[in-house]
Amino acid sequence: MPFLTDVRALEEFRAQARAKRPADARVICLCGGTGCRASGSATLRPVFERCLSENGLDGEVDFRVTGCHGLCEYGPLVIVHPQRYFYQRVKPEDVPEIVHESVIAGRPVERLLYKDPATGEVKLREDELPFYNRQQRIAMRDNGIIDPLRIEDYIARGGYAALAKALTSMTPEEVIEEVEKSGLRGRGGGGFPTGRKWRSCREAGEKRGEIRYVICNGDEGDPGAFMDEGIMEGNPHAIIEGMTIGAYAIGSHEGFIYVRAEYPLAVKHLSVAVEQAREYGLLGKNILGTGFSFDIKIARGGGAFVCGESTALMASLEGKAGEPRSKYIHTVESGLWEKPTNLNNVETWACVPPIILHGAEWFASIGTEESKGTKVFSVVGKVENTGLVEVPMGVTLREIIFDICGGIKGGKKFKAVQTGGPSGGCLPESMLDLPVDFEHLAEAGSMMGSGGMIVMDEETCMVDVARYFLEFLTEESCGKCTPCREGLRHMLSILTRITKGEGQPGDIETLHELADTLADAALCGLGTTAANPVLSTLRYFEDEYHAHVYEKRCPAGFCRELITFSIDPEACNGCHACFAACPTQAITGEAKKPHEIDQAKCIRCGVCRITCRFGAVKVK
Amino acid sequence: MVHFTINGVEVEASREENVLQVARRYGIYIPALCYHEAVTPYASCRLCIVEAKQGGRTRVVTACTYPARDGLEVQTDTERIKARRRVVMELLLAQAPASEKLWEFAATLGVTSTRFPSEDPDNKCILCGLCERVCREQAGVASISFAYRGRHRKLTTPFEEPPDFCKGCTACAYVCPTGAVEVRLARNLLELQPWKAKVEMAVCTECGTPYAPTAELKEVTEKVKLELPALNLCPACRRKIHAKTVVMGKS
Repeated sequence: MPFLTDVRALEEFRAQARAKRPADARVICLCGGTGCRASGSATLRPVFERCLSENGLDGEVDFRVTGCHGLCEYGPLVIVHPQRYFYQRVKPEDVPEIVHESVIAGRPVERLLYKDPATGEVKLREDELPFYNRQQRIAMRDNGIIDPLRIEDYIARGGYAALAKALTSMTPEEVIEEVEKSGLRGRGGGGFPTGRKWRSCREAGEKRGEIRYVICNGDEGDPGAFMDEGIMEGNPHAIIEGMTIGAYAIGSHEGFIYVRAEYPLAVKHLSVAVEQAREYGLLGKNILGTGFSFDIKIARGGGAFVCGESTALMASLEGKAGEPRSKYIHTVESGLWEKPTNLNNVETWACVPPIILHGAEWFASIGTEESKGTKVFSVVGKVENTGLVEVPMGVTLREIIFDICGGIKGGKKFKAVQTGGPSGGCLPESMLDLPVDFEHLAEAGSMMGSGGMIVMDEETCMVDVARYFLEFLTEESCGKCTPCREGLRHMLSILTRITKGEGQPGDIETLHELADTLADAALCGLGTTAANPVLSTLRYFEDEYHAHVYEKRCPAGFCRELITFSIDPEACNGCHACFAACPTQAITGEAKKPHEIDQAKCIRCGVCRITCRFGAVKVK
Repeated sequence: MVHFTINGVEVEASREENVLQVARRYGIYIPALCYHEAVTPYASCRLCIVEAKQGGRTRVVTACTYPARDGLEVQTDTERIKARRRVVMELLLAQAPASEKLWEFAATLGVTSTRFPSEDPDNKCILCGLCERVCREQAGVASISFAYRGRHRKLTTPFEEPPDFCKGCTACAYVCPTGAVEVRLARNLLELQPWKAKVEMAVCTECGTPYAPTAELKEVTEKVKLELPALNLCPACRRKIHAKTVVMGKS
């Protein structure tokens, strides 16, 4: 017998859950997201548990291992409530102090607080950090607050209220209208209006009298992107609730969450959440006693990037090889097993419950004319604060990279930002004031994509960046269609030649021609956008290509075959550090006298430059 | 029925047809290598691209998978299409430079050279997958399949071993547009390359000529549920004996 038999039972349960969580309750939120795990948060958990128990605080303090808080750069993160002290880079040996000082005595542990790198100012709470106080969180509303493995946490925060509202006071048509009015567009990259997609799927299903499926695309695979991972790990119930509302609107009774298998934590959290939702009567037959039935199966991807493409994903779900097919007949008409199928991305689904709960007008009041709401970006690369950032659409690149993420690491100069993953484009400094939304990014030759942002500094070679992304895409091309399989391979080999100093006149023109062929003639989204890294770097950094091809020079000082290292005798004090570090004994010189590099022996690995503390090693 | 235009010519078609089928029915040529009317369109070679205008929006689409729809305006040979086709053709030539048939086909499109280097000068296969589809959909055997991904993709047999279920129907060789499948008769064994398939041939009881794969004969026999003595003869002997029966009235 399911636990919550009707909406009243849900509300009663919510009231109880809230009563157990008063505002002045003592809570420790340890970030258990993959970023913080990588910096050791998993080892903190037993230490906290032991320490709390030793101090007789079992049951007194609510210890939560939460999903990603966002500021991965400073992980592992710990927040102590009710004071909301924000601790960063916490190590196991810091735990007793946190428990004694903050949990028991209510005082902050000064040395673990965040210090603004620019001003040196110490910040006590999360919301005092520029990284957080400029964000607006809708999709990531509960990240860092709830324990994703405890459904009570989600319900206490208002979870499943939107589902209850939709099922009891709205018709499917009204739900679709609400989502249409909200202006919500697909967060996976396409930016297609979500409500319109739902409507098409519902109509196709009704016309053909067929069953319909809903799918959540959790096959996030862009290098450096982890927005969906953050949501799947940190708030799985938001996705389940969103999908259930969507299924109700569309008239579907079966859904799938397709998660990439490289996200084991996401798979685990989603699986637990689905189990819990079933137990509570929020999934399965007769949800909340309303007569509506819907269930979700979780499918793991096999590691192919292309399976993030909707038709390839559906082929993979059917047990076939993950290859895209022509989409001239849309998947909302003929998708999974040739039935009408509605596929949305993780973030899109997670945005649905707040829209239903707070209304379309509220959501539409955020963002720009054409792009409503917020968007999560994973900002990585050469920035001070890497992590997950959720901001209203229309915020400029400059605000995200400099104001929120603290600018470029090590005081270097900004050069470009790659948005939209491997199929996106690289935007230069002149584009920093571009409002980030679907239209503006596309006009600038890049795209929103799923929200990856890779920031590059002055030492990044743009030709090499294009080469890197093409290498990724060449490996990830399924190989079905000629332009993608063969075209990318030849583009990669041309770019590789250019970075090796073997570029020839005509190469740039051939790249253009291949890029146009891919854009027009490739079969799926991967292929048609695959040339974007090349096209956008050609558009904004053509001089760098010219320097490589015609002058055999890499202006960024990166491409090994095109650079030389030398030691500035003025700056070198003969400390001998580079001499010891050089793997090929190319450096000669007596102690305390300027050293020299033998170019014949130098393999241009750059170790001397990294080793030198006086900036005496120059690259040209 | 739907009505639309191809290169300005008004055409009529059923909703189940694709643009390539309709064009061919009307005698309008659109080049294609991975298309064959006997199997499901696959849209992999991308030579059949055309410009399709619908609802005010012009897109480059593959004719072999684009459904016939009312009001569609198709252009098969615009400058844009010709330029893209040319590059696709060059890419295919670089991929399978050993295929004479491919060079001949390319010449009909006015492409006689490729600027792209070849990785395998002996290759004839362009991975159009017709062999795979005909084996699965028509022969009902699925002895051939795609394996690996991207640049490593190839057409091969299960576990890359001689296929257990190949009947020797040679449909794969028949549909292959580039001559990449080779069929050779060595005494009474039919060899299909590159599948490493060796299929036993039945020998004519009259003249001793190998004339049909044993497995195929067996299948036919089982299907018609009759033991036909004529099936033990090669077509020539069958004709001869039949003629004798008719003319001389003896069996």
